[in-house]
Amino acid sequence: MIGQLWDVIALQPVMNVLIVLTDYMMSSFGLAIVALTIVVNLAMYPLTMKQIHSTQALQSLQPKLLELQKKYAKDKQKLAQEQMRVYRESGVNPAGCLVPMLIQLPIWIALYQSIIRVLAWTPEDFLGLSQYLYSWPVVYSALPLAEKFLWFNLAIPDTYLAVMVGATMWLQQKMSMPVATDPKQKTQGQMMLWTMPLMFFVLCLSFPSGLALFWVTSSVIRIIMQYLVSGWGGLVISRPGIKIRKPGQKKAALPEAATEADIVEPRSEAEKGLEYGESGGKRQDRGGGYSARLRAIRRQSGRGKDQRRKGR
Amino acid sequence: MQVERPVKTRLWLLLVGLVLIGLIASGCTTLGTQPKGWAGGEVTDETLFFGSVKGEVIALDASDGSRVWEAPLEAEKSDGGFGCTPVSAMVVIYGTPAVAGDSVYVGAYNGIIYAINITTGEAKKFYPEEGELEAVIGGLVAVSGKLYFGSVDGVIYALDVTTRDTVWRFPTGSKIWSTPVIDSDTLYVGSFDKKLYALDANDGSKRWEPFATEGAIVAAPVVYNDTVYFGSLDRHVYALDAATGALKWRFPAEKWFWTKVVAADNLIYAPCLDGKVYVLNAETGAKVTEFGLGSPISSSPVLVENLVIVATEEGRVYSLDATNQKQRLLANIVELADEALLIRSPLFASEGIVFVHAQTEKHGSLLYALNAVTGIDLWRYPVSSN
Repeated sequence: MIGQLWDVIALQPVMNVLIVLTDYMMSSFGLAIVALTIVVNLAMYPLTMKQIHSTQALQSLQPKLLELQKKYAKDKQKLAQEQMRVYRESGVNPAGCLVPMLIQLPIWIALYQSIIRVLAWTPEDFLGLSQYLYSWPVVYSALPLAEKFLWFNLAIPDTYLAVMVGATMWLQQKMSMPVATDPKQKTQGQMMLWTMPLMFFVLCLSFPSGLALFWVTSSVIRIIMQYLVSGWGGLVISRPGIKIRKPGQKKAALPEAATEADIVEPRSEAEKGLEYGESGGKRQDRGGGYSARLRAIRRQSGRGKDQRRKGR
Repeated sequence: MQVERPVKTRLWLLLVGLVLIGLIASGCTTLGTQPKGWAGGEVTDETLFFGSVKGEVIALDASDGSRVWEAPLEAEKSDGGFGCTPVSAMVVIYGTPAVAGDSVYVGAYNGIIYAINITTGEAKKFYPEEGELEAVIGGLVAVSGKLYFGSVDGVIYALDVTTRDTVWRFPTGSKIWSTPVIDSDTLYVGSFDKKLYALDANDGSKRWEPFATEGAIVAAPVVYNDTVYFGSLDRHVYALDAATGALKWRFPAEKWFWTKVVAADNLIYAPCLDGKVYVLNAETGAKVTEFGLGSPISSSPVLVENLVIVATEEGRVYSLDATNQKQRLLANIVELADEALLIRSPLFASEGIVFVHAQTEKHGSLLYALNAVTGIDLWRYPVSSN
């Protein structure tokens, strides 16, 4: 029952749109995958940006939370209270990055399943495709879809494309990662950085290239979005004394959640430590970083959103 | 040491990600199904030959279902991978075997034509001598010492069964899944390039310019009263003049016409994936009546005397009487098997017996022999238990 409902409300529309798009894209199914991935990403742009901002905000609180962890190592209850206080005061919701992701997930799954089904890599799959088709004449005349795109066949795996999937995912992960100071955090970060790209690389060695194309396109779009929020982020090699400004820093420096918090943050020792590296030089601002965000909060303290606009 | 909350969150995210990837990976077996095949069979001199879902050609005594031999087809190559490869290492058979001389010939999904000795059941690679073609989905046709078939490489092949030489080959614009049919030295075959071809069976030259439809052609054509009838994935049944290729009429429906039609008593019975069998006037294409069978029909029907026997995908077998246009449930294979099953293999018949090859989860596949008039289950042959 749920499966049928899913097919009707999610799978069928996406599949048929994919087929129609193919017809409009000079009968290129590859172009249709790229186009639909871009369209879906644009439609989910606000959600994705919210997710990126929330993730960034969480990351920016990391040093402060580390400090608390050290401070209240023996009192777990107090630690929990303090952590909650930090979240509350900074206006960051720890689940803030999960909600947009959960909303996006069904859409991605529908797109993924649609590509799999429309590719129909076995005769059984192709026969099964008929039950998902709308009665639009264009859908019937567009099938079967051309499997060739650029240098690869969309229905069979392609090693180069698998490498591209791994590489773009790694880039995107790296850009979104903060520079960790804690060794344990660093290890976990490294694990995060390599696990997903490697896993997708391996999967793409046995998945049809159509899916790999979808993942590459998605990753490239996410890289662009990440760049708009945090610049090159974790890709920039930290050098003491050199400050790199990210694109649109003034606008994007403050996560939405934090801008609306209107909190006057007391300048703590931990916070001071964040602005200066171990060598004593000015810490590189990777864009959307903790210090920039707090400076922004301070600048805007006591003023509402409308007042801030008037003040510019 | 306690792990702080954001790190925990990320670890959870990682875990969720891994689970999702696992689900996606498992999805390649549930969404993108493994090929199983849907081979039909042929009866020659009271021996029945059919392709099983286990990649064997099986010979049975058609009267009682006793096994004569089983010939497992060996794959030349094994496409490994990460447990999710689209090509199975096992040989998969979609096409119906063809008998010629002392051999049974069958084309397989791995692009190899096998020849099996009709007496001993010994299977050998027949064609090509080196390597393999692209997948062979359609059935083979053996006529006058030649073997005809189409391949996913888009080429129609004519082979000499004695010398194994390629007599001729004709490239079409796309894949060929359709089984060719030969009538009066003319070979008719449909292609994924949406065209129906008529070729000289002796040299492969075109009889007339290919007839273009608006959809791929998977069904085998049928020649009846100097007219070629075939269904297309553009949801139409077509009637062409067999001599010139000129369109006589076309009939629209709701979904794909996947199987071949049956012609009898100046009527065309056209099963459709919309679950109906359309009965059309063979001359004009006008609809005489339609039978709603309630489930898609993807196995080709068969004519036994004046009865058209049709099976739905979900396992019901009907007999449609061409003389009075009455339908009757001949057998419910699901009830006979007592499990869910799927019928996609073409039906075939001999001496008043209809053979239905059904795919089941428990048995792999079951071959049923039914009395074409009474529907009595005469015998059954479970493939995997033997």
